Parts: sequence; C-alpha cells; structure tokens
Amino acid sequence: MTSIREIKEKGYIPQKMTTKLFIAGAFSLSKTLLLNMGDLKKLRKSLPNSERYIRPKREYEIPKFSKDMKINNSNEKYLRPTLYCDHREPKVVALAHKLGAYKKSDREFAEGAFELVKEQMTLEICPLNSVSETLDRGTGTCFHLITAFIALCRAAGIKARYKVFAMNVIKAWYDSVVVADPLVKKWYDSMGYFMLEGEGEAFIDGKWVVAHVGPKAERQAAAGIPITKFGEDSIGRWFFAIPGTIMIMESIPYGFSGTTKLLKIIAPGSMERVNISILKQIEKGRDIINKAGGADSYDRMVRMEEGAKKPDIKIESKSQIVFED
Amino acid sequence: MISFDDYIEKFDKLVQKYIPPKKDWTPPDQAVYGPKDPFRVPIKEGKELQFNAIKYQFKNHYENNNMYNSFCKQMNITPSDIKTYDDIEKIPLIPGEFYKDYPHGRDFAMWLANIFTGHIPQVKISGKNPNFDDIINSFNASGFVVAYSSGTSGRHTFIPRDSRTFNISEYAIAKNSITMAYPVYDYSMKGYLLMPNPFKTNVFAGKVCTIFFNAVSEVKSAIDREINTELIKLSMTGSGSFKAKMIQKVIAKMNKKIVNDIIKWLEKNEKEKNKIVFAGAPFILYAVTKKLIEQGKSFDFSDRAAILTGGGWKIEENHRMPLEDFRKRMQEVLGINTEYCLDLYGMVEGNGWMVQCQEGHYLHIPYTYYHPMILDENSKPLEYGKWGRFAFLDGSTFSYPGFIISGDKSRMLEHCPVCDRPGPVLEPEVTRISGKEMRGCAEELRRMISMDTGDD
Repeated sequence: MTSIREIKEKGYIPQKMTTKLFIAGAFSLSKTLLLNMGDLKKLRKSLPNSERYIRPKREYEIPKFSKDMKINNSNEKYLRPTLYCDHREPKVVALAHKLGAYKKSDREFAEGAFELVKEQMTLEICPLNSVSETLDRGTGTCFHLITAFIALCRAAGIKARYKVFAMNVIKAWYDSVVVADPLVKKWYDSMGYFMLEGEGEAFIDGKWVVAHVGPKAERQAAAGIPITKFGEDSIGRWFFAIPGTIMIMESIPYGFSGTTKLLKIIAPGSMERVNISILKQIEKGRDIINKAGGADSYDRMVRMEEGAKKPDIKIESKSQIVFED
Repeated sequence: MISFDDYIEKFDKLVQKYIPPKKDWTPPDQAVYGPKDPFRVPIKEGKELQFNAIKYQFKNHYENNNMYNSFCKQMNITPSDIKTYDDIEKIPLIPGEFYKDYPHGRDFAMWLANIFTGHIPQVKISGKNPNFDDIINSFNASGFVVAYSSGTSGRHTFIPRDSRTFNISEYAIAKNSITMAYPVYDYSMKGYLLMPNPFKTNVFAGKVCTIFFNAVSEVKSAIDREINTELIKLSMTGSGSFKAKMIQKVIAKMNKKIVNDIIKWLEKNEKEKNKIVFAGAPFILYAVTKKLIEQGKSFDFSDRAAILTGGGWKIEENHRMPLEDFRKRMQEVLGINTEYCLDLYGMVEGNGWMVQCQEGHYLHIPYTYYHPMILDENSKPLEYGKWGRFAFLDGSTFSYPGFIISGDKSRMLEHCPVCDRPGPVLEPEVTRISGKEMRGCAEELRRMISMDTGDD
C-alpha cells in the first residue's frame, strides 16, 4: 500500500493548479453534457453502420525479460517508480535494454526512446493504465506516451519527469482532434482551451531536455508543421500554454484519469470518433510525406516555410526589479 | 478654409507635451515630429529620414538589448552591415509571436525587464504572487508604459514601451489621422471614444487614445470602467465561476447602455450644432446605426463630423462588413461624409499608424520612420503588388526592437492608385494569415463585451 509519505513526496496529490483545472474541466464537461442531452443521446454510441475504430497493429517488438538485465532500483526523485509509471516492470526493462540502456550515452538512449515512442506508438484516447499495458498495446493518450518515454528513461537510469499545462492548439490540430466530434468540440469551445496536455523531460548532461512524444511525423505532416525532434518543444509551435498553468511533476497525480474514464462511460462514441479522426490524419500525413519525397525532405521544406526564427531569451535576474512580500 | 500648415501647427500646440524639445531630437524624433504632413514628404527625403531613424534604433537595440544582441549574432548581422538604404532589410525581424510567449508571476516581471532596451529604473512589486496587472501597474508607476493586446485566445501581446516611445505612438496616431482628415478636425469637436477609457486600462487600443483627450475639447468613453487582464480573462474564456458570471452580467448590462448613451449624445450634439468625432471600434457604431434604423431616426452631421475606425471589421459573430458598406451606412444614418470616414491600421507591436486617404481609402504608410515589407513564405521581401505577410522596421521604438513580422496578410502598392501622395500604401482591408487565431482589437473588444448587435 502506498504510504502517506510516498503520496506526499512523489506528488500524487494534485497541485493547486491541477485541481483548479480538474474542477474547471469537470464543470465544463458536465455543463456541456447537460446542455446537450439530445446530442449526447445521439452521439454517445457509434451507430451500427458507422465507421468503427480499429486499433493499429503494434509497430515494434518487446523482447523477453531476462534476470540478468540491469534494473534501476534507485529511490531518488525522478528515478523511482510513480503512479502508472513503474519502470521496473519486466516489459519496460526489456525494451529499455533493447534500446541500449546502460550501453549508450544518456542522450543517445533518450533520443532512441523518444523515436520509438513518438514514431512507433499511436495516439489513442483511452483511460490511463500501467506503462506495460501501454507498451503492449502500442497506443495511448499523450500521457500514456509520455509515461512510456519517462519509464524507459528511468529504466536506463536517466532522470525523467512530466511537464503539464493547459493550452490552446493551432487550427489544424483543432480541426483534426476537436472538430472530429461535436461533443468534444462543445466541451473545448466552452472552456476555450484544452484542460491538460503534457510533455516529458529527461535530465541529460546537467539539463532538462524536453520530449514531446504525442504526435507521429504523419500527424505533424497532416497539420503542416515540422517533424519535431528530441529537445524541441510543442509550446509555441502547435500548442500555446495558458500562462501560469505550466507545472513540473514527478508523477501523474491521483484523479488524472478521471476525465477519460468518465468520457468512456458517458460518451464512448465520442472517443471512437476522435480516434478514427486521428488515424485519418495519419493516413493524410503519410500521403503528404510521400509526395514531399520522404520525412526528411518534408521536414526541410516546412522548416524553411516556417521562416523567421524567434529569438531565444535567457531570463536573467535584474536587481532593479524588487519584490516586496 | 484653414491652411494645412496652420491646421497642423494648432494641433502641435495642443499636444505639445508629447513632443520632446527640439534640441533633444535624435534621428527617430526628427522622422516622427519633423514632417508637417507625414504622407507628403518627397520620397527621397522620406527614405533618408527613415534610414537614419532605423539605423539609429538598430544600433540602440543591438547595443542595449541582450536578447536582440544574441539574436543578431545568431543571424550574423551587426550595425556595421547597415551602410545604405538597401541594407536595412538585412535587419533581423522578430516574429510577433515572440511577444506572446511569456512566463507567469515574478518571472513575467523579469521577462519584461529582459526584453526591454536600455536603462531600467527601479520597479517595486508588492505581493507574494503578483499577477499580470500587479506587475504592469508597478512597471508603469516607475515610468514605463507597458501595454498589451486584449488577446481573445488568452494570450496577450505585451510590449514594454518607455514614455518616450509611447508618446511617439500617441502623437503618430493622432497626427496621421488628423492629417488625413484635413480640414474637418478642430479642437472644438466633441469626441466619442469607442474603446476602453485610456485612464482605466493598459489595453493598448484604449491606452494609445489618451491623446484624444488633449486634441479635442470634450471626450466621452464608451467603455468607462477598469479593463484589466483578469477581467478580460473572466469575460472571454468561458470560465464558469460565479465571479465570471457576475462580470458577464455587468458587461451585458453595459452593452445596452453604450448604444443608448451614444444615441443621446448624438441628439444633444445635433441640437447644439457641435462638430463631432468618433474614434474606435466600428462594430459599436454599427450597433448604434442598427438601432437608429429600427427607430426610424437619422442625423445630418455632414461637414462637421469624422469617424476614425480601427481594429477589424467583424461587425457581428458571423458578419464581416465591407468598409464601403460601412461608410455608406454612416452617411445614410448619421449624415457623415464618406471621405471623413477613415480606417486606421496599426498594432500594439509598433508605432506605424497607417490611415486611409479620403480619396481612395487606401492605407497610407508613414514612411519617414517606418519601413513596411510584404514577406513570402520564406520570410523574404516580395515586390510591390504581391500578397504576403506584413512586416515592418519601426524606427521610432526606443525601448524594444520594433522590427516585427506580423500575423497579418496584405498587399502593398508603391503609390496610391487614387490620390497623389507619393508613398506606399496597403490595400484597404488587411486580414489575418490563416491559422493565426488572434483577431484585431475591435474584434477582441467585440467578443469581450459580447456585443452581438442582433441580440438587442
């Protein structure tokens, strides 16, 4: 059983901002559902003749676990198991070793884990589960995928954590994920932003490096954005964090899975429609990449079109700015 | 009729406090305050003023702004690379999104200080967790004029002007408008500001209109309550809290009052034969004329009124009104001559206020301090006549690098096809680049105060 100390230390109790966002999201979802009972009745389940979601086949192999594989038993912050993210599970350890755990440099390993999760796993809206189940299935929400990345890093002895925020999305993302289902659209529109989104971060050579593993190259191509690499942030590219909502977490907190669980019970049809739309985006993106002559040439072309680079800003403390408590 | 020189001299006297003493003028001041008619400076002279102003500011930001200095070093450009007028397009441009990407709380204060060019005075900020308004008010109490776009998406564009840069913006918006409105403007006019009261907000679209109170004898503000980031958030993000609901109710009540107040004001001024001027968001005037049409009322302000609009042409939720139709409607219902119904284009990121000419309603660019560009998808300048992304080098901003790529789509012509002013113009209607969610300030204001005129 999880001790109170562990709950506190690992941050299982949602932060104040998370709670605020949970409440706003739950309130908004309830309101959307109550005000759209007619739509809910029509849309909650997929019609018998309508298109069904077929989960794509897993794109990678998980080797068998063997006892001689090194396991990270550290209890240090960001290296220890957390909610839904137990890197000591055999499948995680086996996959981490396949990726070169304890053989490659931290950066090389993290890049490999990033490539596997981002490009070989697929976004699917479903309730949270253990990281082994996610790896077995090969699909999951962005939080499943981030958890898979974090678990692989921790299994290789690399510190890893979550960066969570509420955000707006670019139009192409809105059209493919939000507009795909009328109820999800109403929910998003009533809030004006997505309740929670996230990224992983791995501690490499003394710095936290961001890993946004949510979108495959094909989905990025469908949205007309570059194929991002390890170290490239989603914020400012296709997500815009609502100021003040960015939170750093060692663990996913309790209650995090509530919304997807609730949505699955109340409106499984909505989830299915969003998942079908995601697969269609992947198809569309594949065509775009092929027409561009491959992922690299697509990426080069889009980055060139993206044009001007934004200045990097290192925020330095200024003695003239005085805070009076 | 008053001569143009006397017309501008009278205006300059009224707004003397915005103009620095001539002995302190730098090339940017010369480019802004020097020309009597900023739209009729001979091209050669205009380019020289522009080059000197932009070169001066580039050096200023390169030497006094660490963020911009590193950016220029990455691009491998230094002030010594800018030798002739043709070199100015080498100056590194900052995408407007940069000013929307800011942290929260105390870090926001440091972010503002880090993007600022030049000497920072002491800024004292109270409270453990200061919000945006606390920080901005503290900066502004120390001599800054930090202002922001209203930001419907929940993200504002924050620009840290010092008072000198802000004065230029105010002077330019007033002078450029008055120049184009010649000869209808005079001090005796009664003004109606269709924006938030500048003394009760840091929203740039309202704040930049402070000079309106100096330029005409009497001004009323349509939105005469404090507008801050917190209120904008509560009124626009659909937050279901009790506080948000209360604010939305108060605003809904205020909406109806605005239209009725303006009608009463029109009646009073018609009776007293006063000259009038409206400045601000067009959707409010659309709502007023809509109600007047319903009531079967009209006015005749023909030669003694002007309308200066700005901020976008979405009149109702699903209705974008062509500018020509708007002018026609104002003439039919208020009797205001179409040549005195002029639209402005500008943005929080710069001081380049572009104003329509009376003759052709093309947007004229103040080229003595402002270098406009239309960029292609690779951020390369396009020739005249092509559609692309609007960008500019603003030689008037002392406190931040006003070298910006906007999110707006436009087409630039070398000369106005209708009038004889020598400088470049933009097509009358500027739109957003697709995919950019932000709207003009009038649309932001319209959404904020939910003034869908069809609901009245």
